[in-house]
Amino acid sequence: MLRALSGTAVLWTIVSIVAHAATFDELAAEAATARRGNRIPEAIELYRQAVQLRASWVEGWWFLGTLSYATYQYAGCEAAFDEFVKLDDKRALAWSLLGLCEFETGKYDPALDHLRQGLAGKDLAPEVEAGVRFHYGLLLTRAGLFDAGNRELARYARGGAHEPMLIQGLGLNALHQSLLPKEAPAESLDAVTKAGEAARCWIVGENEKAEAGFQDLVKEYPAVLGVHYLYGTYLSYSRPEDAMAELRRELELNPGNADAGARLALLLVHANDFSSALPYAKKAVAERPNDALAEYAYGEVLLGTEDLQPAIARLEAAERLDPAALEYHMALKGAYSRAGRHDDARREWRLSMDLATGKTHDRPHD
Amino acid sequence: MTDPMIDGFRQTGRPCLATALVAAVCAALAGAAQGAPKPAKVTCASCHRAEAQSQPKTPMGIGIELPPNQQPLETHPKLTVEENGYHYSVERKNGVSSYTVSDASGTLTLPVRYAFGVDNLTFVLEYQGHFYESLVSYYKKIEGLGITMGDDKIRPHDLTEAMGRQTSDQEIKACFTCHGTGGVSQGKLTLDSLRPGLTCEHCHAGADAHMQALTGGKPAPIPRKLGEMAAEEMSNFCGQCHRTWETVVGLRLFGEKNVRFQPYRLANSQCFLGDDKRIRCTACHDPHVDLVREEASYDRACLSCHTVSQKTCPVANKNCVSCHMPKVEVAGTPAVFTDHQIRVVHPGEPYPQ
Repeated sequence: MLRALSGTAVLWTIVSIVAHAATFDELAAEAATARRGNRIPEAIELYRQAVQLRASWVEGWWFLGTLSYATYQYAGCEAAFDEFVKLDDKRALAWSLLGLCEFETGKYDPALDHLRQGLAGKDLAPEVEAGVRFHYGLLLTRAGLFDAGNRELARYARGGAHEPMLIQGLGLNALHQSLLPKEAPAESLDAVTKAGEAARCWIVGENEKAEAGFQDLVKEYPAVLGVHYLYGTYLSYSRPEDAMAELRRELELNPGNADAGARLALLLVHANDFSSALPYAKKAVAERPNDALAEYAYGEVLLGTEDLQPAIARLEAAERLDPAALEYHMALKGAYSRAGRHDDARREWRLSMDLATGKTHDRPHD
Repeated sequence: MTDPMIDGFRQTGRPCLATALVAAVCAALAGAAQGAPKPAKVTCASCHRAEAQSQPKTPMGIGIELPPNQQPLETHPKLTVEENGYHYSVERKNGVSSYTVSDASGTLTLPVRYAFGVDNLTFVLEYQGHFYESLVSYYKKIEGLGITMGDDKIRPHDLTEAMGRQTSDQEIKACFTCHGTGGVSQGKLTLDSLRPGLTCEHCHAGADAHMQALTGGKPAPIPRKLGEMAAEEMSNFCGQCHRTWETVVGLRLFGEKNVRFQPYRLANSQCFLGDDKRIRCTACHDPHVDLVREEASYDRACLSCHTVSQKTCPVANKNCVSCHMPKVEVAGTPAVFTDHQIRVVHPGEPYPQ
């Protein structure tokens, strides 16, 4: 509705504001009156003028930012919260709104960082947090941090959401494509959507639909990168032998898929076949340095071959790269315990239990 | 703890005693075979007589009761119970047991081919190409049927759901892997070759090859000595069937039902030190013999750490487990388990998850 305001009306509003307001106090009072009267464009202009007169006015930047966000003026909102967080860096909502605006204006790297700071604040209203985590999940996927991104998107999906942007985000994440939904090429959108819908069914426990969806996907798009990885990951929880076959198919198509190699190594570790697992794990860490899953897989292989100290180093690297992953804390607990590092083992025990029981919310990805 | 055989090798630089023993056994067996039409067949009992004799009679050695040997059902030929509005019966006629569930809509009867457990039995049933875990089990404590542990929240909508909980492919393979031998091969169910219980090879990987080589009169690779494992590693080893700490936490199996997952409970104990052998599973339990039920017999394990020179218990100096490892009755079932989370238990405190 507000977007429909004509240019003439806006111009009239601005002219009338400039004609009437002069001092900071007057501008601040008029801005508050306009805001309370729901005259949003007028309030925005008054707040803008007021903060120009007094750049240290925290409340002014706040209202300028929130009103701009409410009226889809993301650039203005972004500028306001950029100033706000310089004056007060303790407000989770401010960091979150700054990140969300940057998401909209295409500044994806700072958006990721600022959404992370917003989530670290832990005082967001649940409905706001859900939206922030959704965008954060999309950006993590774009940054290639697929496991961390999946946790965020899955949490959103578990809340019952199934809008197209979520489905596409889940699909890109599941297929390990470092893109936002709006960046996905049109020709790949069908595969992405089908992958996303099957992944959503898996997340919410609709296993029959998920299985059917994954089978259709593999049949229809056998040559699309990531499809066999996705199906293999799904199968690894129920049919490990079939999962290994799918992961091997993925590696034939895409030898550089480090996560496929890492998952295959983990399945071989669970089958106590450490010598077969080792080359896959080694290759995965070489292909993708700083990949948490690859480091974890290599650490688990080394644990299996009794190379305790190198295993601990790898698992610590995995934990550093993705501190919200329960598996990495659990593996470290076991490794420290075997190494006689009792205090470290106890700390990881506590972290694991807190994460698993929800006492600690997933820490945002570093 | 050092192994004198290995130490002997390290000190002398000569082949260790273990290798010498293997060579001696090979020579003896080969000698015994000389002039005979076939070489002597080496079994685990050839050298490990006591373990090989006692282990098959343990709960792990039995694992599953297969027809016609389903002992508790023989002594209780007709068992019935009403649960969730359904009538259940397990009846034995002419050496064959059957499981029946019925309500006003009809009756479903299936043969009991696999009775998992020893004192308490849960039935694995086949129906229309799928496997189901029976919704009621036999419990020794009540000498009757009750809801299967973990299934107390299930509210069946029809006879099939009332009969049992359909298992996943992975779950059913895990059941047969941990309760029997030969039931799973190369990732597939091979129930035609299923034998009840766990044989030596299950824990001592390489035992079969070891015996085959010895039968052929050749030196054989010795399976890994499991006694080398400290607490953490052994907990994970036994946890392959009894559930590891990681499995329980990863699947978030919290609440008092996890009292039956002993490696998980033990690993939560303050005194669980992963590199210490004094708190590993076999510090208290010899898997080759039946479970020892006298509480005082476990004092030795507690006192191996809590010596008189350390702070000791202000209440008692014996029967430690009677207080520090309380019995937990799992709600909704007649089953009672010893809680392996060793701790100072305060009256009225909630079950530590």
